[in-house]
Amino acid sequence: MKKVLLMLALILMLALVACGGDEPAVEEVVEEPVVAEPTDAPEEVEVEPTEAAVEDVEAEADVEGLDSIRIAIVMPSTINDLAWSQALYDSLLRLQEKAGGEDAIELAYSENMFNVTDAAAAIRDYAADGYNVVIAHGTQYGTSLFEIAPDFPETTFAYGTSTNTGADEGIENIFAYEARAEEGGYVNGVLAAGLSESGIIGVVGPVEAGDAKLYIDGFVAGAMAANPNIQVNVSYTGSFGDTALAAEAANTHIAAGADVLTGSAQQVVGAISVAEEQGVVWMGTQSDQSSLAPETVVASQLYDWDGILSGILQKNQAGEYGNSAYALTLANNGLVMDFADSLDADAIAAAEEAAAAIAAGDIDVMAAIAGEVMETDDEAMMEYPEIAPVRVALVMPSTTTDLAWSQSMYDSLVVLQEYYGEDNFEIVFSENMFNVTDAAAAIRDYAADGYNIIIAHGAQYGSSLFEIAPDFPETSFAWGTTTNVGEAEGVTNVFAYDPRLEQGGYVSGVLAASLTESGIIGLVGPVDAGDAKLHVDGFVAGVRDTNPDVQVNVSFTGSFGDTALAAEAASTHIAAGADVLTGSAQQVVGAVGVAENAGVPWMGVQSDQTSLAPDTVVATVLYDWVPTLLGIITSNQAGEYGGLVYQLTLENGGQKMVYADSLPAEAVEAAQAAEAGIIDGSIEIVAEPRN
Amino acid sequence: MKRQFFDRLIDALLPLFAILLAFAIGALFLLWQGVNPLEAYKAMIVGAFGNKNGLADTLVKAVPLMLVALGIAIAFRGGMINIGAEGQIIVGALFTSWVGLQLGGGLPGWFIIIIGLISGAFMGGIWGLIPGFLKAKLGVNEILSTIMMNQIAIQIGFFLLRGPMIDPAEVAAGTNIPQSARLERIADMPRFTDMAKWFGFTESAKNLGLEGFTKEIYGLFVDPTRFHSGFIFAVVMAVLVYILLWRTTIGYRIRAVGLNRHAARYAGMNVKQTMVMSMTLSGAFAGLAGAVEILGLHHRMFEPVAVSAGYGFAGIVAALFGKLHPLGIIPSSILFGGLLVGGDKMQRAMQIPQVLIVAILGLVVLFVVSTDYLVKKRQNRRVSVTDGDDDLAIVEKMKESLKEAGADEEVDA
Amino acid sequence: MSENLTMAAIILGILHSGIRLATPYLFASIGETISQRAGVLNLGVEGIMLMGAFFGFYATMQTDNPWIGLLAALIVGAMMGLLMAIASITFQAQQGISGIGLFMFGAGVSSLLFKTMVGNVVSVNGFSELTFCVSDMLCLSEIPVLGDIFFSHSIVTYAAFALVPFAAWMLNETTWGLNVRSVGQNPEAVDSLGVSVTAVRYAAVMVGSALAGIAGASLSISLLGLFQENMTNGMGFIAVALVYFGSWKPRGVLLGALLFSTINALQLWVQVLDLNIPSDVAVMLPYLLTIIALALPFRRSMQPAALTKPFKRGEN
Repeated sequence: MKKVLLMLALILMLALVACGGDEPAVEEVVEEPVVAEPTDAPEEVEVEPTEAAVEDVEAEADVEGLDSIRIAIVMPSTINDLAWSQALYDSLLRLQEKAGGEDAIELAYSENMFNVTDAAAAIRDYAADGYNVVIAHGTQYGTSLFEIAPDFPETTFAYGTSTNTGADEGIENIFAYEARAEEGGYVNGVLAAGLSESGIIGVVGPVEAGDAKLYIDGFVAGAMAANPNIQVNVSYTGSFGDTALAAEAANTHIAAGADVLTGSAQQVVGAISVAEEQGVVWMGTQSDQSSLAPETVVASQLYDWDGILSGILQKNQAGEYGNSAYALTLANNGLVMDFADSLDADAIAAAEEAAAAIAAGDIDVMAAIAGEVMETDDEAMMEYPEIAPVRVALVMPSTTTDLAWSQSMYDSLVVLQEYYGEDNFEIVFSENMFNVTDAAAAIRDYAADGYNIIIAHGAQYGSSLFEIAPDFPETSFAWGTTTNVGEAEGVTNVFAYDPRLEQGGYVSGVLAASLTESGIIGLVGPVDAGDAKLHVDGFVAGVRDTNPDVQVNVSFTGSFGDTALAAEAASTHIAAGADVLTGSAQQVVGAVGVAENAGVPWMGVQSDQTSLAPDTVVATVLYDWVPTLLGIITSNQAGEYGGLVYQLTLENGGQKMVYADSLPAEAVEAAQAAEAGIIDGSIEIVAEPRN
Repeated sequence: MKRQFFDRLIDALLPLFAILLAFAIGALFLLWQGVNPLEAYKAMIVGAFGNKNGLADTLVKAVPLMLVALGIAIAFRGGMINIGAEGQIIVGALFTSWVGLQLGGGLPGWFIIIIGLISGAFMGGIWGLIPGFLKAKLGVNEILSTIMMNQIAIQIGFFLLRGPMIDPAEVAAGTNIPQSARLERIADMPRFTDMAKWFGFTESAKNLGLEGFTKEIYGLFVDPTRFHSGFIFAVVMAVLVYILLWRTTIGYRIRAVGLNRHAARYAGMNVKQTMVMSMTLSGAFAGLAGAVEILGLHHRMFEPVAVSAGYGFAGIVAALFGKLHPLGIIPSSILFGGLLVGGDKMQRAMQIPQVLIVAILGLVVLFVVSTDYLVKKRQNRRVSVTDGDDDLAIVEKMKESLKEAGADEEVDA
Repeated sequence: MSENLTMAAIILGILHSGIRLATPYLFASIGETISQRAGVLNLGVEGIMLMGAFFGFYATMQTDNPWIGLLAALIVGAMMGLLMAIASITFQAQQGISGIGLFMFGAGVSSLLFKTMVGNVVSVNGFSELTFCVSDMLCLSEIPVLGDIFFSHSIVTYAAFALVPFAAWMLNETTWGLNVRSVGQNPEAVDSLGVSVTAVRYAAVMVGSALAGIAGASLSISLLGLFQENMTNGMGFIAVALVYFGSWKPRGVLLGALLFSTINALQLWVQVLDLNIPSDVAVMLPYLLTIIALALPFRRSMQPAALTKPFKRGEN
């Protein structure tokens, strides 16, 4: 007994010691340059920096008059990474040589500064040591830079990728730079489409963000523009330095038939050696990678920082320490395309034409990328209102990868974040919050941390929400499935959302009834309640209204996560003669697998499950939370913190039907007619009573 | 004397070292995820104990842990392993909310609360009695039956909440979420902030000039947090269980059966009846945990697993951390609750996958129970062990130990 | 209900499902039987299964060879068993609680690895269902009734069933088995004969855990062909319960696993056939009937005398 008390006392003491400081400083530790997303709207191709006018950079580095200037660079990887960091360092070496060696320009650098705290220390040290120009070569260093720069008003700081020079915060000595990697990506894409014989191109990306994402988006758009039938397989390794995985990704692409590869970040060295071994061509970006495999690296987009750097240096010497933003573009020769001579002349011609057109402004790469997006997700049809920066917290009962309820919400948030950029749209989340007490703690913490909108993604969180919400009157809370905004409890800052899944269920039912030949359809439900119940109700009604002779066998597993039992339920349905299956909740991944093995079509709900079995998932009722979320965000920013109920319906786009191309046209037509009927009100969904 | 103090100190520190070791291994995971472990653990400790909301979360969590752990301890002391607390919490919570919804209509709040608590304990008790009975009379192992009965409780919960007990508003709105209506507000177990108001403590910490940790402690009791009177109730229950186990005949019998069934039978006790009783009591405490969760925190019944929320298993850990001693369970529940809460806060602060915390806590549990051995070994070196193979001798020993009731003896379950 | 389904077809479906669904339970329960026979209650089966499921899945995904996946699951299972053994045998930790720690650790790590190394739920080509074709024309799986029930499962399922007599033989006929049973019954006697109680228990726990790892892999690379966080959903605990059902005999465990999974298959059919029973009640059936089945005949369970009791040489 005493022992335990003693132990507790010690723990408490520890806690007290720990409390001595402030709140825990949550330093963002980013492994590698995760570069901020461009905040421009996709339609705008003009680079419109948010803070300052982009300087027009002369391609020719002007080193005239540069003397005894001291430059320090803090970089996230190494000077020989053959990628992001090396491109900059090489430029500096060139300038140094031009300006007259080490006497004219002194260089110092810190490599592998993936810990931002360390980087901040390095930046401050360099500034204190009297370096004239301190370059922090990564977006992640921005926050630290803004803290440090005011202390050294006569030191020039530069960082990128960014367009924010901190002028808003009254900072005068920061330059921002960015590389419009999508431009060269587009050109490489055009070239790749011209070179590929198999019609398949592989892309080995690091993390789907920042510079890499720009390059790859541009690449895909270029390839598609040159040849709409080409297939570009994009894979991300999830890190910048995982050489082995990048090599593996390259192997995979080649196995999938790719005969042209590209990729970005320092990891690609692995992929290039694979490309060399397998005799396929590689297109590089950022730095010149042909040293690795001269025969294999046939095209490169090179970042030429000379112009930007000399501009910064000249300004520094002239007493202008910051306040401008630069961009590397094809037009200002900051991006240089380099093609191997061995290439097919027609392909090069097409690529060079594209490069010229981009430089001249005739090709709008951002619009081309947006066009791609529009074709695939048609999300671009949404009107995205202008919003102020917003911080959103999501508390969910399962995981962001559950292929069901939780993932549908998370995916929609990510869509918004991709549009508005990480700076303007922050997402945090807590997964597996099946314990309501924990969820309540999470909700309160997020509110106390100043998140603007807190989404409690489950009906079980309601009672906690109504307790917490009154304490944070200017925070918006949202929860569902429900229609209760807490009026009865006097709460004013809670939104409710309510997916009317019987609508999508009905449409799937109509489709299923048209597809079935055996006249039997199987449904694998979790628990007969909430939106799973609505799904069943609607589905059964849709089937009945289409063909009363078709029978729907409904079974429930009694839990949301029992994958194995859901699989067994699917087998049972098939054994009972079902030739179309559907079901809901995260458990159904098991059932989808069974359907795939048995060759039975599956109709998904909530989240897109095609990744599991592309040929099996023939239709999906997709929850699109984007309109709901935008409604909540705009209300919140207009000072209306709650009180509205959002329904997700077919009419308002909250539910979307996705049909596979393989479906027979009549079946899809019938389903679409049902969609129209539900939207115009001519179809009334009448549920049959069940047990 | 002094010597003994240091020995005891080292004993007390061993589990702490175990926790530190688990954290050290966890730090490798954190580093792998690109997170600074020191910052992460700081966030964890501050999150659980550093401010009023963290403390409130920890103590709120300690309430069900404590009650469940008390039940587990009774069962363990009686020689039974109760893995069925999850189900017992669920049926307790179900029955409490059902009874709570039936009452009302002008009855005073305290009356509904008391009846609600009794109902929860009653139903949980039944859910414990069944496996106890099956074991005593039919030889059905209690691990098997309690595991199965957890699932049965979940399904009963879903059945009731989709049908007879569903909130009419859910049906009206067409959302059909499986949850009951809210209990009347008068039946809320008071929160500390409410009680502070009754006693007239409304002064804000700022006006009193409180700062730092004192301010947080003051805020815990006065400001609106979720900290509710269920905590007092649970602590009182712990004392009562202590009295029950060490000061009553029933407790004596339970412990005697737990120590050595044959010896107890030889001593003339009704072993089967005692086994049923310890399981029933064990279930009743888990049911009580469910009742307190409903009356103090949720105020309505919803998805069964969201109410039991793993407390049935976490309670076992809390019980063993507390050495199966009712008074040890009080701090161990707070500590373990703090670990769980702090882990969550760390996840949020660092945005690392929540499962990483689960893994680290798993290591903490593994390592801490492993130190028991070292503690015992050290004790054995200090105290010469008397041989106790003879059944009669054991009974004699038990009688002796009863006389010095309250002594902090260790019992091998 | 439609007429095109005969009673025979339904029974056939139930038996087929029952056999397939028994696979993970069999591996895990037999493994747990071995461990408990040696006197160690391993409540961490769920966590071990999750680790096995993940590593089996991941290795299969990387190598495209489910055998390597199975091997990976076996090794990881044994490693988890080693952890359990160190805690429960060397450090004599309370077995109920160390198992819960192991469960949390396994559940956490498997999900963490999945999140970090895979990210999204994807499927792999695991073991497929066999057809037992003697020639192009003659496949055993085509035999009416029998073929459906017995000759159309994956090799992993057959292995699970083959494990039962093998485990029984191991436990009852071999010296190792005798040692295992003895350390669970009377460790002092074994110790006095010069056999290391600790070594035997370590081996039993690790073998049992390796089987639990395979049980997880049987889910991820045989039955489902995918991994999802927490995919075992309590199966590990059911597997522990089935050991008690089987009175620590592989034969009894087989009976329990078949009973449980067949009733589970039955309840699915009850729902599919729309027999007017609420779904929750149907789902409850296997749990309820397992308890009742054990309660009905008056049988005395013969728990290994030293189960959950750590062995302390010379201390008692």
